[in-house]
Amino acid sequence: MAVREVLIYPDERLKQVCKPIDQFDDSARELLQDLVDTMLAAGHSVGVAAPQIGAIRRAVVVDVSHSKLGKKQQNHGLLQMVNPEIIETEGKQVVREGCMSVPDYTGNVTRAERIVVQFLNEAGTLQVIRSEGFEAIAIQHELDHLDGFLFLDRVSSLKTDLFRRKQK
Amino acid sequence: MQHFALTIIGRDRPGIVSQVTEILYQLGCNIADSSCSILGGQFSMILIISNPEINSKKDFGNAFAPLEEDNLSVFIRTLKPGGEQRPELAGELCMISVYGADQPGIVYRVAKELGDRKINITDLNTKLIGEASRPVYVMMIEAVLPEGTEVETVEEWMTELKQQLQVDISVRSLLAMEL
Repeated sequence: MAVREVLIYPDERLKQVCKPIDQFDDSARELLQDLVDTMLAAGHSVGVAAPQIGAIRRAVVVDVSHSKLGKKQQNHGLLQMVNPEIIETEGKQVVREGCMSVPDYTGNVTRAERIVVQFLNEAGTLQVIRSEGFEAIAIQHELDHLDGFLFLDRVSSLKTDLFRRKQK
Repeated sequence: MQHFALTIIGRDRPGIVSQVTEILYQLGCNIADSSCSILGGQFSMILIISNPEINSKKDFGNAFAPLEEDNLSVFIRTLKPGGEQRPELAGELCMISVYGADQPGIVYRVAKELGDRKINITDLNTKLIGEASRPVYVMMIEAVLPEGTEVETVEEWMTELKQQLQVDISVRSLLAMEL
């Protein structure tokens, strides 16, 4: 159990593709606990991915139930996910995202509106959930970390893109 | 370190950014924040720059003369100490869309309503669209609401204005997530 330091870009560990967790052993359980502790210690954070605390392994935690906007929507509370995989997506939504690993910058990112994600939970059991809204955004953002993607790689528009259309 | 605001504007064409930044690079200038966009047919650049060796505007000499020769207008403003630092903008972000038949005063009336109520506009875009015979004015505003001001309240204020100006106005909170 430990609060770990959140790595900040350009730490190269944030740009690596994480390895699957093949053995659901004590080290995996410890990693999940560290992720939860780090997320709580960060106060406003709604999720942390393993590479953000220096572990190049496929694990994330998400909990939007304490965030101002997230708690108004349907959510699953604390989600601890090992080897998570999005198996279905539907719709699109634009959200302005920021990230603890990329301070002082936010950008408009297009994410799926609804997702179905499968993962091993903290008990090591395969779980499949349907998620939407804020929670779905958080899950997509954290899963991107596992493949070395930052939201900077996903920015879809600079401010208002209404005016970016082709001129007549 | 002394910071300067550099503004450059001129008829859009490929190569303006490279021409400007080559000069800045040769001068040894850092570009901190910058924003560049096309407005009408004009390419407009606003950059906050600094250079440890340059303390006053005259130190730039005639470095930007080649730009003026290429029909770009160049303006340098010396910032006061700390002027390069972005203020901490606490508060909820919202987007306000205003659109309707073009008429004088749309920007002013909406901006006055917001300014009078201490709502800080952080970004504003306007564009004239549609047919020349029936022009439509579109304005998008991003603003920070002061503590205690709700999006719904702003919407109420705008409802009145909407009737007075006969334009459509919608207000919504901007989904912003710190992850």
